[in-house]
Amino acid sequence: MQALLKLSRGIDFAIEQFGRLSILLVPLLIAVGFYSVSARYIGREIGRRLTSNAIIEAQWYLFSLLFLFGFAYILKHNVNVRVDFLYAKWPPKRRATVDFLGTIFLLIPFCLLAIYVSINPVLSSWGRLPNGTFGMWEVSPDPSGLPRAPIKSMIIVGFGLLLLQAISQAIKYAAILTGTVKEEVASEIETYQAPAVE
Amino acid sequence: MNTGYEWLSILMFLGFFILLMSGYPVAFSFAGTAMIFGLIGLSVDAFPLARLLLLPNRWFVIMSDFTLLAIPFFVYMGAMLEKSGLAEELLETVGILFGSLRGGLLLAVVFVGTLLAAATGVVAATVIAMGLISLPIMLRMGYDHKLATGTIAAAGTLAQMIPPSLVLVVLSSQIGVSVGDLFAGALVPGLMLSASYAIYVLVVAYRNPLLAPALPLELRTISGRALALRVLKVMVPPVLLILAVLGSIFKGLATPSEAGAVGAVGTLILAASNRRLSMKVLEDVARSTARTSILVIMILFSSTFFAVVFDGLGGTRFVTQFLTDLPGGVLGFIIVANILVFLLGIFLEFLEISFIVMPLLVPAAQVLGIDLVWLGVVMAINLQTAFISPPVGFSLFYLQSVVPKEVDTLDIHKGAIPFMILQLIILGLVIAFPEQTVAWPVEYLTRPAD
Repeated sequence: MQALLKLSRGIDFAIEQFGRLSILLVPLLIAVGFYSVSARYIGREIGRRLTSNAIIEAQWYLFSLLFLFGFAYILKHNVNVRVDFLYAKWPPKRRATVDFLGTIFLLIPFCLLAIYVSINPVLSSWGRLPNGTFGMWEVSPDPSGLPRAPIKSMIIVGFGLLLLQAISQAIKYAAILTGTVKEEVASEIETYQAPAVE
Repeated sequence: MNTGYEWLSILMFLGFFILLMSGYPVAFSFAGTAMIFGLIGLSVDAFPLARLLLLPNRWFVIMSDFTLLAIPFFVYMGAMLEKSGLAEELLETVGILFGSLRGGLLLAVVFVGTLLAAATGVVAATVIAMGLISLPIMLRMGYDHKLATGTIAAAGTLAQMIPPSLVLVVLSSQIGVSVGDLFAGALVPGLMLSASYAIYVLVVAYRNPLLAPALPLELRTISGRALALRVLKVMVPPVLLILAVLGSIFKGLATPSEAGAVGAVGTLILAASNRRLSMKVLEDVARSTARTSILVIMILFSSTFFAVVFDGLGGTRFVTQFLTDLPGGVLGFIIVANILVFLLGIFLEFLEISFIVMPLLVPAAQVLGIDLVWLGVVMAINLQTAFISPPVGFSLFYLQSVVPKEVDTLDIHKGAIPFMILQLIILGLVIAFPEQTVAWPVEYLTRPAD
């Protein structure tokens, strides 16, 4: 169990870094969004094209990265909506049971399925042809747009991170259930945190 | 064509609710139920595996959706106003401004609630912020507990109703209407709600001054020119900013995400020019924006999976058929839809409801020829009501979590009842007069500028 907890701490550390990256993407996204709209208007005034499809698309690329990297992060921090009439009143062990079972039987299989169904679309976006060879990768249909293959691949990365964090959570819930960690420590593991949306 | 497995789709819904009641997170309950019933559906050949292989495409559509891109921008605006302390200053100033009136503080709460609602669009945040800021003063002044808490809960809940709001953005993507139209449609009913609260608190305070006395002179720390200047300084910029954001969306000068980006930078400048910007504020705002946006999209990804399986089992067709076969046509549909959404609103937040129910209502509404913008607005008012309906309204819980000990929980719930009645009246008006309350404002506000 101690070895598993060590693994869990390692995963937590890595996911925390991705979470920080997501948070850093917020000001960047706002900057690009603001540049894009001001460039459109200023460009029209002075009769020059200051913005491009690449900049317009960069906005949703950034937002996609922000949330795909963030799925695991909000799981780690228990940023979640729960219907907690019962849950909030239960003792930590019963709460951990619900979360442990849910993680093992629902969340982990969901991540695996999401990765599985995404592999083929992503490979064909990188240009894989039906005969197994690779051709051109998928690019935006608009002129000077961005390549699609990298951002599509991020779906797999996002669910991969979520899978890792789900494993880490399962270890922590199991540790609470087996009594490996004491209840005081268990509360630090953030099995439950009330505010859903800040 | 019927799949013969519609009963499985009904079971799927039940399974989802049981899972929710266990306290398992909503975001993963959708996907979890879809996993289980997807496997069952595949094993009985209710739908082919190819249907599940479509999922990445559906997710990719969400990623590249420019409407949803507006979410982080609007969340940022609200978070900045709150975490920088600008919202608090606004409430104080307006409180002093209206302080000489009986019930003046209540009026200030309604007024600022409406403004914050326009800026933030996150109900929990608005209710909690106003509860923390204004309730202690009102209690010290001897305001009636029921009246004070009822006003805070009702005004704070306006956040979902008054554009631009996060909820309306999500709702518009779920029912397939333009955000601008939905914003314009929600504007008049939203203002009607806030006006009805204002009139109500003034009438009550006028008839019984003991319930909501005017501020004594010594608490009105500034007056005259100083007050006028302060009002100009704290009230005008945010109001202008919100009007600019809304106006440019209505007139088609900017897309919602463009207007949101400008609004976000605007609040940033506002906070900076009031010397309220620090590294800590910037970090808090970015974190809060990231967390809220990630959560919304996580639920959306998960509920998309749910919808794919539910539809595969024939559930969507089944519900559409049921809703269109109701006696009474449009009115029957609206009544059933309202009861359904109200009941769900008791234990689900607006976001989840728009993900679960709206996709089911929309096909039936289209068959019946119902205006989708109007339908969205009606549902928004309905949820507004569900949020403050005792004993289970969400806003009441949020408020409960921040009130001082001397306030009785029962008073919070009793205090909400008059506001609930006001909302039901407005709901009735909007249903009875769709032309005047929704259709006309949409047409007028979204007329292109030239």
